[in-house]
Amino acid sequence: MNIEQRRKERLDRGIKVRTDGLYALMSWRELSYLTLPRLVLIVGMLTLPFIMPSMYWQRVISIVCIYALLAMSFDFLAHFVGLVSLGGALFIGVGGYLAAIMNTYFGMPPLLTIPIATVVGAGICTLFLLPCLPLRGVYFAIVSLMYPLALARVIEALDILGGTDGIMGIESFGNRWVEQYFVILMVLLFLFGARRLVNLDIGLVFRAVKDNDQAVRASGMSITFYKAVAVFIASAMGCMGGASLVHIYMWSGISLLALDFSILPIAATVIGGAGTLVGPVLGCLILVPISELLRAFGTLRIVFYSLILVAFIVFRSEGIMVYGQRKYHQFERWVKI
Amino acid sequence: MLEATGLMVFYENMLALNNVSIKCEDKQIVGVFGANSAGKSTLMYTLSGIMEDIQKKENMAGGERITVLGEIHYLGQDIMGLKPSKRARRGVILCPERRRIFPESSVLENLRIGGYLASPSQAKESLAYVFRIFPALKKIKKREGGFLSGGEQQMLAIGRALMAQPSLLLLDEPLLGLSPLIQVLLVRSIKEIRDERRISIIVTEQYARPVLPIVDYAFILENGAAVLEGTREELLHNPDVRSAYFGVEE
Repeated sequence: MNIEQRRKERLDRGIKVRTDGLYALMSWRELSYLTLPRLVLIVGMLTLPFIMPSMYWQRVISIVCIYALLAMSFDFLAHFVGLVSLGGALFIGVGGYLAAIMNTYFGMPPLLTIPIATVVGAGICTLFLLPCLPLRGVYFAIVSLMYPLALARVIEALDILGGTDGIMGIESFGNRWVEQYFVILMVLLFLFGARRLVNLDIGLVFRAVKDNDQAVRASGMSITFYKAVAVFIASAMGCMGGASLVHIYMWSGISLLALDFSILPIAATVIGGAGTLVGPVLGCLILVPISELLRAFGTLRIVFYSLILVAFIVFRSEGIMVYGQRKYHQFERWVKI
Repeated sequence: MLEATGLMVFYENMLALNNVSIKCEDKQIVGVFGANSAGKSTLMYTLSGIMEDIQKKENMAGGERITVLGEIHYLGQDIMGLKPSKRARRGVILCPERRRIFPESSVLENLRIGGYLASPSQAKESLAYVFRIFPALKKIKKREGGFLSGGEQQMLAIGRALMAQPSLLLLDEPLLGLSPLIQVLLVRSIKEIRDERRISIIVTEQYARPVLPIVDYAFILENGAAVLEGTREELLHNPDVRSAYFGVEE
């Protein structure tokens, strides 16, 4: 070529390559390269309740965590199993109502209701969604969207479970510190658990189901079984969130089945970075407080979310975490061709 | 007709095409031969402009960065950096690898989609022409594209490309996965198309033997670089080429 041309080259940092294997234990520098981002997240999450100015904002942190659980469950299902779930409200609703029933009708303490609601609720959600698991395509998304709408109308029409007033007088966590640290620890637990899970053997099968379900069938595995396991795990996260939510609000009503719980996690996932699992948590940490700040605008908040979502999809569809990870692990330089 | 000089394509840091220059004269059939990963498809994407589209999508999603350098002159004009749709309007039509027909449209619908750029009379004439060179398609024109056999799909893909009124037809591995009998038939049709429609054709293939009888000029790619070029006779008498691409034992 007659003119000199340059190209920007993108390379992995040396330290990233050195910390890939066991050699990460070589020195403090390598160790801190690996642990620093994780520590920032953990310590940041744990100190959040302290740096919040008021009790109101501390409550917001709890809500952030519940949305974060939902967003992680969406990210896990959508980007590791290939099931686009619009059923965040279903998970929250089932988990929330179960905890409310157990607490008010049978007098169980939150210590019991939350774990039971998590496991039983996840089982119920999985059973609800089981019929559309062998199918490929949009069916799962549609069915998971319809259940919460249908359940809300059933509760309203039959006037069961408190009807439109909801179930009141649910026991609270007792102490706001207990409440916040419980949900924060749950988010961290599920986050690191899910990150580990997707790299285990079963996680590989999940990803294979997403990439090519026919090849998974041809390898002698039942995709329905693996999808059911994945839906169980994801709905457990959601039901745990729902159960915590009713104990935080001390009330359970049909607003648990509202569309917000289905839509906001998706927005958070897009903004935070799909397929990273940390991204959705980060997205919730940004979106939920913004939505609280915009409370004055009432239902127009939804317009605002939609605008953010569209802007991110159009201009930066990778999301914050994917961008951040790339900057952390790689560097760029100009090279002559 | 088409002259590409110094084409370089990087997928992130990987060099897919290294300073490739190819040329296609008017009404020639030019063959591009090479093994897997030699850069044949990348070359076709770059010539047809699909690369611009891939580049844009990857860029938006923050994926791999694709760098394309070099010049493509087509009918005396620089078409580098032009969108694939603009290039198609100028007559550079790609018939993609693995056929990529529209599986849920019928044969006739597939062809009519291909004729989007043509005027009604051109489309009518081309449709009749496609059915004349591929009579097999006429019998199955109501059937859905996804249910066709590999050979029928390939005929349909070439037919669809013809409907777009090409003056330069890019055929990316048209013989992929077809039986020898169908290969012979298709190769004969490709030559017929060139002779009757008076267009230029660039065809890529891994195995040169079935296509070689009809090419006027050929390039051989290896690891992204054009290592050899020549007329059919020149390549036929090159011992390295004979053993590597024609399956002839010396």
